[in-house]
Amino acid sequence: MTAKTRYFLIGSVMVLIVGLSIGLVAFYGGMPAGLFSGQNGPEELKYLPGDSAVVAYANVRDVMNSELRQRLRKFEGVTDEGRSEFKTRTGIDIEQDIDHVVASMGTPGPDAERSGLVVVTGRFDTSKIEAMAVEHGGKAEQYKGTRLLVMAHRAEGESAEGGPEMAMGFLGKGVVALGTADMVRRAVDRGAGGDNVPANAEMMRLVGGMSGESMWAVGRFDAISAQASLPAEVSERIPPISWFSASGRVNGGLQAVVKAEAKDEQAAENLRDIVRGFVALAKMQAGGKPGMQKMMPDVQLSGEGREVAISFAVTNEMLDAFEAARAMGEKFKKLDQDAPKQ
Amino acid sequence: MSDTAPDPIVPASPGHVPWAAGPARQAPSFLSAAMRVFDLSLGQMLWSRRTIFLGLIVGSPLALGVLFRVLEALGITGGVRIEGAQVSGPTVFGGMIWLLYLRFIVPVLGVFYGTALIADEVDDKTITYLFVRPIPHGAVLAGKYLAYLVTTVFVVLPSVVLLYLLVVPLGNGSLASSFPALLKDLALLGIGLAAYGAVFAFIGAYFKYPLVTGLVFAFGWEQLALLLPGYLRRLTIAYYLQALVPHSMPQEGLGGALQALFREVPPVWVSLAWLAGYVIVFIALAARTVERKEYVLEQ
Repeated sequence: MTAKTRYFLIGSVMVLIVGLSIGLVAFYGGMPAGLFSGQNGPEELKYLPGDSAVVAYANVRDVMNSELRQRLRKFEGVTDEGRSEFKTRTGIDIEQDIDHVVASMGTPGPDAERSGLVVVTGRFDTSKIEAMAVEHGGKAEQYKGTRLLVMAHRAEGESAEGGPEMAMGFLGKGVVALGTADMVRRAVDRGAGGDNVPANAEMMRLVGGMSGESMWAVGRFDAISAQASLPAEVSERIPPISWFSASGRVNGGLQAVVKAEAKDEQAAENLRDIVRGFVALAKMQAGGKPGMQKMMPDVQLSGEGREVAISFAVTNEMLDAFEAARAMGEKFKKLDQDAPKQ
Repeated sequence: MSDTAPDPIVPASPGHVPWAAGPARQAPSFLSAAMRVFDLSLGQMLWSRRTIFLGLIVGSPLALGVLFRVLEALGITGGVRIEGAQVSGPTVFGGMIWLLYLRFIVPVLGVFYGTALIADEVDDKTITYLFVRPIPHGAVLAGKYLAYLVTTVFVVLPSVVLLYLLVVPLGNGSLASSFPALLKDLALLGIGLAAYGAVFAFIGAYFKYPLVTGLVFAFGWEQLALLLPGYLRRLTIAYYLQALVPHSMPQEGLGGALQALFREVPPVWVSLAWLAGYVIVFIALAARTVERKEYVLEQ
C-alpha cells in the first residue's frame, strides 16, 4: 500500500470519527442547541406561559397583503365581520395596525378558556384605545409599571356581568397582550423571565423549525384532539400522537406543512401508512380527470423516525381552477333557474 | 504489507529464475492471495480516472448541502423548501439519503466499479499477468471486490457524515435526534455497496458487455420491478434495502404513489438475510465464473 493510499484512508477514517463523535456528543445532550443552527421564534414568546398546550404565530401583515387573501375574498370566504368587531372592542384595526401575533392556549379542561393569551405587535394609538375601553366600561390600572386596561367580561346577549375580567396590557412599545386580567398580569411577570415558552425545550424544538413561515401553530396533540371532539370510532383508530405542528407560507398561493410526532416509531409508521394510502388513493382518483388534477394540491408525505409530515401547496393555478368551476356552477344554476317550468 | 516472502503477484526481479534450484515455494492460501490482490488493487482503484467520477458523484450532495447552508445563512429561502413548503433538516437529509444515495449513488458506484473488477483487466489485456500467478483465480476476484468495497465505503461514508453535519441542523433540525438514523444510514449504505458490488462483480465476470447489462439491471429492472405488484420485487436489492431505511419514503409523482400503495416492508432480519445471501451467492458465482471461464483477449 502506497503512502498516498494510506493517508487517504487515514483521512477518511478521521472524518468518520470526528463526525460520529459530534453526533454522539449531541445525542448524549452535550451539544449546545445553537452550535450548528440559530435560535428562532418571535421575541414575544417570552410572554406566553411555558406550560401552554398550543402556541401559534401569524405574520398578519404578510397574510393581509397576500394575493391569496385577495383571491379568497372573491370566494366570499373572507368577510370583514370579525375584523370590524375586533376594532369596535379594542380600537385596533387588524389590517392596518398589526404586524404579527403570537397566541397560546392552555391545557384542555374547564379553565382552558381562561388560560388563552394573545400578544399583538404593531402600531397602536394607546390614548385612543384607552378612551375606547373606558367608554365601554373598562378601567385603567398599573401593574408593575405596565399599564393595563381591565374590562368586566360580558357574554353576548347578557346584560349582567359574568366570567373573568378581560384585560389589555401594554407590555412594551408596540406590544399589547390580550386575555383574562389574570393572564395579562402573569404575562407582565413572565416578561422579566421565568416559566415562559422559550424555557420549554420541547416547544422551542418545534418552534425552531418554523423560521420564515407566515403562520404556524405547534403544540400537544391532545389539546387539539380534545377540542375537535372526534367520534370514538375515529379517535380510537388514530395512532397515538404526542406533538403536532402546522405551518403555512403565503407567497402567491399557500405552501403548508402539517407534522405529527407519534409516541413511537411503530405508531409513526402506522400513521404514515394511513396517510400514504389516502394520498395514493387521491392521486389515482384524480389521475384520469384533468379538471380534478388542476384543483388537487400535490401532497407530499415525508418524515422520519417518530415524525410524519404532509406538505402541500395551493397554487394560483388551483385557485384559477376553483374560480372557473365556481363560475361554471353559477352559470348552470342560472340556466336551471331560467329554464321554462313544465 | 511488506514482508520477506516472495510476492506471488508482483513480477519477480530481473535475473530471478523461478525454476532455479532452491527451497520449494508453496502457493499462498486463498485468503493470503486475496489480500495481496486487494493490496495491489486498492491503490490502482483509488488513483484511477474513475476516482474523479467517484469524487464528482459523491461531492454533488455535499455541494448541495453547502448551498442549502449558505442560502439559509443569507436568509434567502427562509429554509429548504419542497413544493414551496418548508422542510426541516432531518427530512432533507432523509430525502437525500433515499433519492441520491440509495437510489442513485450506491447502484451507480456498484455498476461502474463492480462490473470493472474483471472486465477492466480483460479490456487492458492484463488479466493474464494475474492468472499466471500461482494463486486461485477466485482469489483475484475476492481481492478486487474487497478493494472496491474499501474504496467506495471510505469515500461514501465520510461524505454522508459531512452531509449530516451540513444538512440536519437546517431549520433548527436536531443532530441528536437524527444520530441513530445516521448510524443506520451508514450501515445501510455499507450493506448496499456490498450487495450491489457483488451482483455487478458477477455481471462483470460473466457478461461480455457488463456495463450495459449492469445499467439495465440497476436502472431498468430494479425500478420496474419495484412498481409492479406481486413477487418480482423480491428479486431486487432495492426492495430489501428500502425496508432498512430509517427515513420515510419521499413520494415522486404517480410512480411514487404506486410504489407507496403496493409497498410491503419485509422484516429487518429477512432483509438482512436476503442481502447477506445476495453477497455470498453472487461473490461465489463470480469467483466460480472467473475460475472456469476462459477469457479471450481480443488482439
